[in-house]
Parts: sequence; C-alpha cells; structure tokens
Amino acid sequence: MARHPDNDLVPYLRGELPPAERERVARHLEECPDCKQDTELLRDLLGNLAHAIGQPPAVNWARYRAELSEKLEARRRQIVWWRRPMPVALSASLAGVLLLVAVWGGREMSKSGDPIGPDEVLMGQELGLLQDLRTVERLDLLEDLEVIRNLDGLASERQG
Amino acid sequence: MEPADEALCERVARRDEAAFDLLVSRYQERAYRLAWSILRNAEDARDVSQEAFIRLYEMAGSFRGRSKFSTWFYRILVNQCLDHKRKHKWWKLWVRDDDEDRAETLLDRQPAPVNDPVDKLSREETLKALGSAVDRLAPRQRAAVLLRVQEDMATYDIARVLKCSEATVRVHLHRALATLKKTVEKR
Repeated sequence: MARHPDNDLVPYLRGELPPAERERVARHLEECPDCKQDTELLRDLLGNLAHAIGQPPAVNWARYRAELSEKLEARRRQIVWWRRPMPVALSASLAGVLLLVAVWGGREMSKSGDPIGPDEVLMGQELGLLQDLRTVERLDLLEDLEVIRNLDGLASERQG
Repeated sequence: MEPADEALCERVARRDEAAFDLLVSRYQERAYRLAWSILRNAEDARDVSQEAFIRLYEMAGSFRGRSKFSTWFYRILVNQCLDHKRKHKWWKLWVRDDDEDRAETLLDRQPAPVNDPVDKLSREETLKALGSAVDRLAPRQRAAVLLRVQEDMATYDIARVLKCSEATVRVHLHRALATLKKTVEKR
C-alpha cells in the first residue's frame, strides 16, 4: 500500500486537490480503513472547530474607527516632521557651528608642525632622496656653505 | 457597482481617503475576529488590527495585484499578530494566564455524573476543550487552522499569507489537527 496521505486529507476534504491527486487519495481511502476513519474524524473536527474557536467580544465600531483615525494621523505627523523646512534661525545656527568646527579644526592641524609641502615631496621623488632616509635627514647640511666648500677635504680626512 | 478591493487599494496608494474608509469598513470585522482568534485578547486584537490597517495605508503602493487583496492584507495582519506574540512572549512567561489550563484540570477532576448528560452538554465540553487546545497550538499552526476554519481560505492562499509553500501549510494543518484530534479522543 502506498504511504498514508496524511498531509493531503484536509485539502482532499475541501476539494482542493488536482484530479490526479484526488484520485490517488480516494483510492487509498478505499483500501486503508485507518485513513478512512481519520478522514471522517477530520471532517467532524473541522466542523466543530468553527464553533470551538468562538466569537470575539463585541466592539464599538464607531470608537474603533475614531481610534484608527487618531493613530493614522499620529503616524503621519511622525513621518512628516523631519521633512519640514528647517527654521531660518536654526539653519543659520547650524551653519555657524559647522564653520567654527572647520576653522578650529584647521588651526589644530597647523599647530602639529610644519607639514611637508607638495614641493618637497616632488623634489624628493625626482632626486630619489626619499629612498635614503639618512640622506634626507641631513639635507639641512646643504644650507651650511662652509661644509659644502670643504666637502672634498672632509671626505679625504675621513678616509685618512 | 461596488469597486473591487484591488481597485480600492490602488486608490489608497494615491491617498484617496474615501477608498481607505471603504476598505476598512469591509475588513474591520474580519480583521478584528482573526486577530482575536490568534491573540485571544480583545484589547490586543483591536490594537493589532488597527496597526494592520495603518500598514495597509502606508504600503498600499507596494500591492502589485499578483495575489488577491485579501491574501495580501491577511499577510500583513497575521504578521502583526505573530510579531505581537513574539514581543510579548517573555512577558507572558511571568504573567501567564493559567486560567484555561486550570479550568481543564478542574473539569478533568470532576467526578463522572451519575446520569450521562445530554449530548448538548457533552458537546459543549468537547468544544470548550477544543477551543483551549487551539489556543495552545504553535502560532503558525494556529494561524493556519484559523485561516482555514474561520476565513475558509484555500491552502494556496494560506501559503501566501504565511509566506511558505503549500506543502508546509499541509504539514501545519496535519500536525495541528492531529493534536486537536487527541483532545477529542481523550474525552
């Protein structure tokens, strides 16, 4: 015997099954007394359930509709408030605060030391100096003209 | 001729208040009844069904007409009910209403009447026990049973409301009714 069509019994009772499935279930019920009894019990049960569930307490529908209108209006106000045009005074205040932050922020940055300007970076890239940190660290020596004039002498003293 | 629900919903999307009022009139009783059947509390049922109508108003533009309006609206409503139950689940752990359980226990403890009661009394007891048993079903099983029994919905539509397959709906119904059957057989 084919497997019991437990999940199909309710749609079968409602006449929802496609013809082939309905035929399959009907044949099974003829052959399986347990499923046939189950189907009858289900039919009774479904009939009783509508009464068993009962009816809800009565509602004052005028009040229900009034409450619904109030809640809907409150929801509309909730959505719309942030879309309203901002008052001019508030806009001006906000703009002022933003400007202050920008200026203050810029000053704080400049206090942190001389930033490397773009010229220095370009020069370093051209000369390949940035690859030699020790050279870069001593670039200020180029400003000492005495050192420059005596470079050859300094080099030979070292070797000697 | 009265406009169809789907046409009214399109008008609600264009903020036609009269169309919204008409839809609410058509569905308010069913929405309240279904919410009450799931939640078993009149105040919650009122609040949740009203919230479902507000969602309908907000989301009318997203209704594409791929399903019936009733299916689409019941999905909103059932989701609201299930969300409400989830939110209040922790609270109910502490404030569980045991009245129903207690009542059934008391009933079970009553000595069997000497004279067998008339069929009507026995049927009333059976129905009461069945109603209690429905309340104890898992939320989605209960929703499937209620949509079938109260709203006379087809399996296909129940599947659309619960956002699952038809096979899953059949399983929900089978398990729910198997549980309910045991309640009846115990009597």
